Amino acid sequence: MRRRLKVPIVMALGLLVALAAAAAFSSAEVSFRSAERDGARVAEVLIGERPVIVVRTSAAGYTPLERAEIVANRLRTAMASEIQAEDVKAGSVPSGQGLYIRDQLVVAVYQPEAEAHGATPAALAGLWRDNILLALGYEVPEEPAPPAAEPAPQEGAEESPQEGVEAAPGAEEVPAGGAAEEAAAAAEIEAEPEEVDWTGTAQKWVPIFSLELEGARVGMAQVAGPTDQIAQVKGVYQLRLDFKSIGRVYAYVPVSTISTKLNRVQGVSVWALADIKVLGF
Amino acid sequence: MTAKRMIALVAAVALLGLGLAAVNGWAISLGDVLKVGGVALLVSQYDDQIDSFITSALGEREAAAKGATKVVPILSLGGGGYVGAAQVVGSPENVSRVKAVVQVEGRFGSGRAQVLVPTTVDKAAGTPDRAKGVGVSAVIEFRI
Repeated sequence: MRRRLKVPIVMALGLLVALAAAAAFSSAEVSFRSAERDGARVAEVLIGERPVIVVRTSAAGYTPLERAEIVANRLRTAMASEIQAEDVKAGSVPSGQGLYIRDQLVVAVYQPEAEAHGATPAALAGLWRDNILLALGYEVPEEPAPPAAEPAPQEGAEESPQEGVEAAPGAEEVPAGGAAEEAAAAAEIEAEPEEVDWTGTAQKWVPIFSLELEGARVGMAQVAGPTDQIAQVKGVYQLRLDFKSIGRVYAYVPVSTISTKLNRVQGVSVWALADIKVLGF
Repeated sequence: MTAKRMIALVAAVALLGLGLAAVNGWAISLGDVLKVGGVALLVSQYDDQIDSFITSALGEREAAAKGATKVVPILSLGGGGYVGAAQVVGSPENVSRVKAVVQVEGRFGSGRAQVLVPTTVDKAAGTPDRAKGVGVSAVIEFRI
């Protein structure tokens, strides 16, 4: 009897240790979320708990949240290896500004997005660069005073740089022409994948988090997908939903962070499940 | 007279079925038959509604999968019958080819393990033909 009990207890303890390790490992990860600022829905990209980029506008058919997810994925890829302060820089892209880490474009800043922030593309790219540097623990480099049309982040601005994200309002903007906006949208389409790649074959086992009425279960799920996406998966959330009175739905969401927010990793799905009951209610 | 004939016919078919099952050594029960038939009926009846329900429920939590989705029956490998349904997700052309998800399940003490293989055939005989580029995003258990 004792021997029969030992095996599930040891397995449960092992799974709990794995869950704790996964949660600790993901504490300083990149995430994104929907938020409300100034009465408008925006999407935030965070490093750890700190919002570093706020996306306010749709572009190339992508909603702010979808754009934030793309940006978060690029940041995660860039942060896979150590980033030096000089690696994070603003530069130009066709019809706009871009924020780069090393030679990889993280986010493009076009006129409509800058206008929504009350800044110019260059100022906004600079502010986002500073936010990323601060989140990574670097000092923000002091630069020569920017021209009037490109305000630097200021203390006491409408949205403070400490919270994240916005450039000081009041810059004089040059309205973008239709041709420029079209070019911007075309460049965005080129820069961001139009369709999620579901055809990858990388696999890994990650913890499942679920809570049921009958008790708590911990388990593992095998997820599969493209290598880049699989690398981002930290766990799988199981959501239990009731469909009318006919059936019970268990939805599995591969996530990039262990938090109450579901940061789904697209292009990844579940192939196998294993769990063990650790607590009965 | 007609009603009596109908009852006799149904009884004869039922007895014939049970007799065949006994001869072939099939371990079936009336509950299994009803469950398998009921699941097949529910999947064919509610597949689109369940698909929309899951997608919108995840969408409300900003966790919907980007890609084509579809609800198909789950076939139990070995059991050979429908035991539930699954929502599969992937690229549109690959999802359109999926006919079912084959489930291989094992239990160990208070634990359980499940392998879910989207396939392009709707029979659980032999090695399942895995549909490439498709995975499972939700499992549906029916109350039968």
